[in-house]
Amino acid sequence: MAKPAVIVVGADKGGVGKTTVARTLLDYFSANNVPTRAFDTESPRGTLKRFHSDITEIVDMTATADQMKIFDTLNAVSPSVTVIDARAGLLSPALASLRDIGFLDAAKTGQITFAVFHILGPSIASLEEISETANFMGGAKYFLVKNFINNTSFFEWDQSTYNSYFRRIKDATELTIPKLNEMAYEQVEVASVPFLKFVANKGPQDQAANYSFVLRGYVRHWLANVWSEYDRIKLTDIVGTSKASAARAEDK
Amino acid sequence: MANTPVYIICSPRPQAGKTLFARLLSEFLLLKNGAVTAFDINLKEPSLLDYLPDITETAEIENTYGKMQLMDRLIIDDRIAKVIDLGFHAFDEFFKMTEEIGFLKEAARRNVAPVILYMPGPDRVSARGHDMLRRQVPPSKLMVIDNEFVIRGEMPAGLSHGRMLSLAALPTFLKTYIDRPNFSFTDYLRQEKDSSTELHEWIRSNYLGFRELDQNLTLQGS
Repeated sequence: MAKPAVIVVGADKGGVGKTTVARTLLDYFSANNVPTRAFDTESPRGTLKRFHSDITEIVDMTATADQMKIFDTLNAVSPSVTVIDARAGLLSPALASLRDIGFLDAAKTGQITFAVFHILGPSIASLEEISETANFMGGAKYFLVKNFINNTSFFEWDQSTYNSYFRRIKDATELTIPKLNEMAYEQVEVASVPFLKFVANKGPQDQAANYSFVLRGYVRHWLANVWSEYDRIKLTDIVGTSKASAARAEDK
Repeated sequence: MANTPVYIICSPRPQAGKTLFARLLSEFLLLKNGAVTAFDINLKEPSLLDYLPDITETAEIENTYGKMQLMDRLIIDDRIAKVIDLGFHAFDEFFKMTEEIGFLKEAARRNVAPVILYMPGPDRVSARGHDMLRRQVPPSKLMVIDNEFVIRGEMPAGLSHGRMLSLAALPTFLKTYIDRPNFSFTDYLRQEKDSSTELHEWIRSNYLGFRELDQNLTLQGS
């Protein structure tokens, strides 16, 4: 059995697109035939659950019972990849909890693959989060995600300031999520389906849908760009599965 | 099985003869098939809508909603030929969008057969536009229209490769005659008893060229 992999998607700031990035990850793994389960920490009602209801469970990451539900089952369940969408403000506390339960040590010794997708917002506060989060990143793959999906301009950032924060973390990798056409994004929201299903013109129960061809085209193009970023960082290798690119949903 | 043809008449420059060509082609398709839908994306130039209001719809591609209104119609395999009169100001945006949304690929899946009818001038903008189209469009779906009234001589070297269709120049007085908004090419053929007139021959010659083009297109993949 493959080594379990846990990916935490989070930020301490709200509204920076954590769930959107988590959704693209689930679509990416689905397209590459990587069995995945997800946990949505927006308890009691989760956005990720709305889009990927079949593989997502809502949990309260601060509750011991739910921590057990996630981490005690890592070796027991068949999907080897676990994606956790950490709600706003929960990234640092969640990492602290992981340290406390010995999870980070397990990652350091290589028993578990651990990756953090830290979604950055346009403010300096986002940069300050980096240094805070960096303290926990010893055994993890750390990805700093500049998310342009909602047309963030990162206007407050000065490149040299950013570089000084960026340099504090050894082996952090930058990722860029491009902008998606607003109307296309909105339609996927309304449809409440994964991006892949929207592209394939399917409804929540796989029934034929009637989404706009133009909007589907925009989503397909955007998703391909996002996935090329995941390909660049060799995400399927990181989670320990060989990529079956021929199975990409684009060609399904 | 026959395809649904979509003719996209375009140029990155004004005064290339797009609307004249779109009028001719639309009237031919109406005569041959009994139905055609034309889309006028030409709001800043002489308009197809002024000539063929019964079969022409206006469209705009400056915003996503307009793009949906147009492209979601073009992708339907309803066996009704579509003619797009694409204004020069919309040239770049249109092809940027079609590439991004994968129009040609999706059209092939849905039995829709688009063809780009490119109307260049002898200028550098036209050469650049053609280069862009050649990168994006397979040769079988790209045709250069040699509008003799615009090119006035040899077609520039870079543009003369691949498929080409000629549109002969008419004398100025006839050009003025056919430019009247109420002029119909098909009505002229029907009403003019003397088939040896220059205009009669010009229309028939163009219709003949269109017949071949339409046959090739509708039978593509059959």
